[in-house]
Amino acid sequence: MAGIIGLYGYDTAWKMARFAYYGLMALQHRGQESCGISVYDGERILCEGRAGMVDQAFGEAELEGLRGWVGIGQVDPEPPMGRPRAKPSFAKGPVGLSLVCDGSAAGAAEAARERGLSAGDPQGALAELLSNGLAEGDPLDAVEGVAEALKGACNFIALTERGEMIAYRGELGVKPMVVGNFGFDYGAIASESCALDVIGADLKADLWPGEAYLFTPWSIERRRIKRANPKYCAFEYVYLARPDSIMNGKSVYEVRMRIGERLASESGIGDVDSVLAVPETAIPFAMSFSNATGKPIGMGFVQTGRRVRSAIRPTQFERLVGVQLKLNPIRSAMAGKKVMLIDDSVVRGTTTKNTVKVMRNRMGAKEVHVRIGSPRIVSPCPFGIEVPDKDELIAAHLSEEEVGKVVEADTFHWLSLEGLVDAIGLPRGDLCLGCFTGEYPLHGDRI
Amino acid sequence: MKVLLVGEGSREHAIASAICRSPQGPKLYGAMRLRNPGIRELCLRSGGDLILGDSMDPGFISKAADRFSVDFVFIGPEEPLFRGAANAIEGMGIPCIGARREAAEIEMSKAFMRRLMWKHKIPGRLRFQAFRDLEDALAYIEEYAESVAIKPARQAGGKGVKVIADFQAYLSKEKGHVKTEHARAIETKYMKGYTDIEDRILIEERVEGPEYTIQMFTDGDSVAPFPLVQDNKNAYDMDIGPETGGMGSISGRGMLLPFITQEEYEASVDIVRRCVKALEAELGVKYKGVISGQMMLTPLWGPTIIEFYSRFGDPEGVNVLPLLKTDIVEVMEAIASGKLHKVKMEFEEAATVVKCFAPRGYPERRDLAAGHPVRIDAGSIRAMGCDVFYGSVDLTPDRGMITGGSRICEVFAKGDDLSEISDRVERCSPLISCSDGWGVFHRSDIGSAPLLGRRIEQSNLIRDVYRYRMGKGLVGTEVDWIPGKGKIVHSAW
Repeated sequence: MAGIIGLYGYDTAWKMARFAYYGLMALQHRGQESCGISVYDGERILCEGRAGMVDQAFGEAELEGLRGWVGIGQVDPEPPMGRPRAKPSFAKGPVGLSLVCDGSAAGAAEAARERGLSAGDPQGALAELLSNGLAEGDPLDAVEGVAEALKGACNFIALTERGEMIAYRGELGVKPMVVGNFGFDYGAIASESCALDVIGADLKADLWPGEAYLFTPWSIERRRIKRANPKYCAFEYVYLARPDSIMNGKSVYEVRMRIGERLASESGIGDVDSVLAVPETAIPFAMSFSNATGKPIGMGFVQTGRRVRSAIRPTQFERLVGVQLKLNPIRSAMAGKKVMLIDDSVVRGTTTKNTVKVMRNRMGAKEVHVRIGSPRIVSPCPFGIEVPDKDELIAAHLSEEEVGKVVEADTFHWLSLEGLVDAIGLPRGDLCLGCFTGEYPLHGDRI
Repeated sequence: MKVLLVGEGSREHAIASAICRSPQGPKLYGAMRLRNPGIRELCLRSGGDLILGDSMDPGFISKAADRFSVDFVFIGPEEPLFRGAANAIEGMGIPCIGARREAAEIEMSKAFMRRLMWKHKIPGRLRFQAFRDLEDALAYIEEYAESVAIKPARQAGGKGVKVIADFQAYLSKEKGHVKTEHARAIETKYMKGYTDIEDRILIEERVEGPEYTIQMFTDGDSVAPFPLVQDNKNAYDMDIGPETGGMGSISGRGMLLPFITQEEYEASVDIVRRCVKALEAELGVKYKGVISGQMMLTPLWGPTIIEFYSRFGDPEGVNVLPLLKTDIVEVMEAIASGKLHKVKMEFEEAATVVKCFAPRGYPERRDLAAGHPVRIDAGSIRAMGCDVFYGSVDLTPDRGMITGGSRICEVFAKGDDLSEISDRVERCSPLISCSDGWGVFHRSDIGSAPLLGRRIEQSNLIRDVYRYRMGKGLVGTEVDWIPGKGKIVHSAW
């Protein structure tokens, strides 16, 4: 997973780097290890990729240096590998371009090699492929050629040395992508609509799966490059996306509120005194669980430090640090009480186990019941979401009751798969539920 | 009866059509810069004629009126009015539909218009600063400007307006840069060559809300309004892209739009009427012709004036002129004799959609957009229940057409249901193309249910806000508190 953004000024007076910077801050939850911004200034492409979070990686001097009325950016969960400027990718020619990408560009490297192009990482190969295609003629025809080669689920945004910006959403639509606009001033493409909000742009629409946008200094065109075969990622709604985003026409916040109601109706609510959320994703689940059951909601934990996506940190040690910093319990919210603890997911079970233990053993909670706002995660993701391998997934190995014993909960329940599909409100056939079922929309492949 | 029509766009084509519908059987004469095929045909068919020349030049227009010894002149666009065409024609003793130079100032000078509204305390006015000097404007931007509209102080062919929402402090630096650059561009580009006005740059408070246009005839005493119209300015679908002169417009059945109330409509008419009277009080001349309010529903006032037109809007005029059942020649005579109040304006009860078709390159690169051979299958468009009004195209000697760089034509249709009408117009789009393969674009969403839904949603929101503010006695008023200075009331009263 990554977060990407593209901005196209309708007037060359605009400097888009700072818009990209704040847009990326709004997408920071989609990748926290590296980030980068490229701009086009009318003559050349300036490209700056760095390690770390956006506000650590870019200072005033860098932003001032990146002058240009077209800008793209990426936040990425992978540290910069090899060359210091791995992301955004850059292709020197025949048509110079820089490219950002969310998802797995599987197939790009093979296609690039077949055409005798240098192919490093898949994203770099994608940049080379597009650059080559652009030299041959119509830019949207070039996107068509590239889309043919892509085998995964991949969205990308490229800017070229000809002043074009090209955005494409893969035909499965697994990864989200929206288009926005600010007055008569600039157009924007972003992974999530929250990035548009933060820079003041209006959300206009989701890109259709398989749809491309082409911005040039004197036109904007869109084309359905491939027939849409929507398989929207369900995990985005549960965990990945920000609740202030609207994705595939559905408000993530509303989906999460429905998940909370569903949790309340699916499994007994027990005789609890209060409902507590593990921050931060699970807060809407807990709020609506409380609304639906009449059990009062409390505030159980305070986070220390910046918001970190603990489950997707690269190492077990970092995950543990992330969780422990995130979850300093408030004693009086739980001491002597029967508590309903609501969390967003259980991957390995260690986090939940630690949390329940602290609540019971150190804070003095009398009972700890656990509800999880996602169905059982049983299978990894072939589309670039950092779900661990199957042998690390507790739900792939143990029953619900057994997991309850491992984490030492009084009662323990996952959300049902049907519950999730209903809460999202999109047809089941339009969703990718691979991490919950092991069935992926890739030519029926099982992984 | 001989009528001379000045102008060569789609709007003038629609005016020409209305004149030729008159049961009095007037002969139509055209004075234009390009050979607009639609106007040309109507002139010839009615037994009139046309003459080519600088249609902005009062001298040329007077000569044309003289040559054809016409009984009436109807001036379509604004620029000839700014240059005194109506004064010249009236000087010849010929009645003219079109404001005199002094009265047309309400469109030509945006600072004059605002001063007039403030002096006469007419509702729907915005706070503004006019600058005669670029450096003063830049200093003002540096010190005060937050969310503002920065405009050329003179009407400059509808170009050069930039409205900047500046709410995020963290993006203010970039926005400030663009404001400054734009103020410079107004001086060096948009206002270049205009020597008929002292103010150069206008900075206005920015307001937000749904826009609509109210167009009317006036004889200086009473007004005769047309149904409301809404234009769509962004170049591409879903309100994406740079600003254009308008990519298409809608009107509802009856006088209202689906998102404007009767009360708002009446308030809008009243604002324009009061401005017409204020003009007479200031200048001592009666405004005879067309006046249009480019309006917005704002939290500050409800109906608010953004700009005035001393003419029909384009494309907005194309929506409503075909609906006019009253004989337009009769209306023209009533305007000339000051008896407009005796004429009852009747309209066909129908909703309308107009979509503009433009060559690729418009609006940013008209040089690229111009000079392409274009085909418009008018026969098939009419057979599909639509009509076409020619815009920026020129007839070539072999009866072909080439693009002029602006909007090629406007396709009009009427009916009961906006989205059905929109679909009908949509089906005409393959009938307009450049034969050299150059792209032609239009907005498919004008009149569509999703776009209309957005407008209704926005209007409901703004209406709630201005009614709340009305209830709190805050109409036209903004109250701030500044540390060290205390409470500051910006009141329009």
